[in-house]
Amino acid sequence: MKARLLFPHPYRMYGWILLLPFLALGIAHLYFEFNLDILSVKLPTYTKDTFYNEGNLTDELAALGLIISLLFIAFSKEKIEDEQIAKLRLDSLQWSVYFNYAVLVLAIIFIHGMAFLDAMVYNMFTLLIFFIIRFRWVVAKENRLLINQGGHEE
Amino acid sequence: MKNNIRVERALRNITQASLAEMIGVSRQTINTIESGRYVPSTVLALKISRIFEKPVNELFELEDTD
Repeated sequence: MKARLLFPHPYRMYGWILLLPFLALGIAHLYFEFNLDILSVKLPTYTKDTFYNEGNLTDELAALGLIISLLFIAFSKEKIEDEQIAKLRLDSLQWSVYFNYAVLVLAIIFIHGMAFLDAMVYNMFTLLIFFIIRFRWVVAKENRLLINQGGHEE
Repeated sequence: MKNNIRVERALRNITQASLAEMIGVSRQTINTIESGRYVPSTVLALKISRIFEKPVNELFELEDTD
């Protein structure tokens, strides 16, 4: 079977390695207002009064790093990437889209004001996180079934 | 859909792992097909039929629910 727009298998590990520092950076920024000084820059404001604002790119760096590492983890090939894995992947993707929107619907109903903005920040990453959890879970479940009934042939 | 791959495999003394290797899938895939949790593509069914030298119809069978 041909590859389906997936990263090579080792990228999953690269993803986990990248995730740690970017997750730490994101949490430090979000909860402890941590900013990297070298990322302080003038940013375009797109308003009539001023062209530039003092800004800091720490959150941009953290967000981009998180997205890239989560994409690597989510969409790297399995060791043996075949059609059955592709089906599990597709099922998990559909499940996670439903689940993510269910969470978002609850957030829209119950969370208001600035807190909703926080919810949207989390929502940028939760689709991938839900997908990763669900996909790894079904793969692990199949592996358990295999070990339980067939012994250890591999 | 039913199949008798497990029986055919036992008759020829082929393990799940070696059948998986012969047709280029994971052992997990063979296991899910045998237990009816996964219906293989036509390509995969034809590969299995080539290994067992039997027509696909003799390996896979429709059920009333299909």
